[in-house]
Amino acid sequence: MPPEEQHDVAAAEVALGLLEGEERAAALRRMLAEPAFAADVAWWRDALAPLVAGWAEAAPSADVEARIMAAVEGDEVSQAVRWRAVAVALAACLVAAVALLAMLREPVVRIVRMPAPAALVAAIQPSDGKGAALAATYDPASGEMRLSGAPTVPQARVAELWVIGKDGPPRSLGLLRGEGVRRVAVARDRRGLLSDGVTLAVSVEPLGGSPTGLPTGPVVATGTLARV
Amino acid sequence: MTVDHPNDPAAARARLTEMLVRTGDEDRAAFREVYRLTSAKLFGICLRICGERQAAEDVLHDVYLLVWRRAGGFEPGRASPISWLATIARNKAIDWRRASGSRAAGPIEMAGELADTRPIATDTMLADEQLRRLHACLDGLEDRQRDAIRTAFFDGVTYSELATRIAVPLGTMKSWVRRGLMNLRSCLDAA
Repeated sequence: MPPEEQHDVAAAEVALGLLEGEERAAALRRMLAEPAFAADVAWWRDALAPLVAGWAEAAPSADVEARIMAAVEGDEVSQAVRWRAVAVALAACLVAAVALLAMLREPVVRIVRMPAPAALVAAIQPSDGKGAALAATYDPASGEMRLSGAPTVPQARVAELWVIGKDGPPRSLGLLRGEGVRRVAVARDRRGLLSDGVTLAVSVEPLGGSPTGLPTGPVVATGTLARV
Repeated sequence: MTVDHPNDPAAARARLTEMLVRTGDEDRAAFREVYRLTSAKLFGICLRICGERQAAEDVLHDVYLLVWRRAGGFEPGRASPISWLATIARNKAIDWRRASGSRAAGPIEMAGELADTRPIATDTMLADEQLRRLHACLDGLEDRQRDAIRTAFFDGVTYSELATRIAVPLGTMKSWVRRGLMNLRSCLDAA
């Protein structure tokens, strides 16, 4: 069997989701390493898309719509509420601190230092070997990943940051938006994936990020996280 | 076929595209309309793959939240809006299925019963020409190749689940499907 045909079928296997375990993880890593393979997977997704017509429709319960709309409302409000809560808490702390200082002649508050978890850093190199590497630092205490910049992407595209563990599929860490130092708040359930030796990758995705949860565009830079 | 707005494929597709683009600008009214236009189709997908109603509704909830957050990335020129949405629903439902270790086994023959010829608004939003070509190429495959590929697509199952369902060795199933996919590719490329 010519290698080219093998290639096509592996891409179809990813698009259909036929693979499991290590085979699946290897194919997903290949999507990151080989832009042509990723393009092939996208070709298969598009080719099979018309089959959508074959799924029978079914009505969900009426309350699902209300739940979704409520969650979407919360999406925006929750952040404002959070910030208000932080502001209130800070103000309360300040009042308490002033009161304490006023009451006490000598300080009795001792600061207990917790051993801070070690930070992780990576040099993220452009895949084409051109241009400077980016510095990435991850602070496990805050769950924040900072990058000194982001690869240039075409218009109407966005750079998305991924972590690739040793034996799992790539997981999105977030989008690299804005200018200058990019900050990515890593979701709690993804923080455990960040450890010494795992790969970080940046792919080019449609605005809003990969619609599939896996990289769909070319990988433009990669690096390995190391403990410092 | 009527020429009323909801059944006119081009108008329905244009409407959904517009609502999806507006959703990308955080327009909640548009998002609600996207839900109303597409939830029956996307729930059908979730139900089929998850195999149980409660799980399918939970997955549907997550699907629309993802749609809300990612609608800005929808490219009207490249993908049909319903295909874009269906891909998200299929992937989310498969994630659930894999995570829950569900092996809700249905007979492989079920794949043959899926084709629904009623003119449903969302279905007619697809490019008819592309659909005809795909069906012509699928029809050209051996029955067992076509059935396996269709089941993998509609039920979101893996090689090993396909093999278990009709009790053939895993290697046999893989070779049927791979041969079928190769033939499908050649046929689609030639068209």
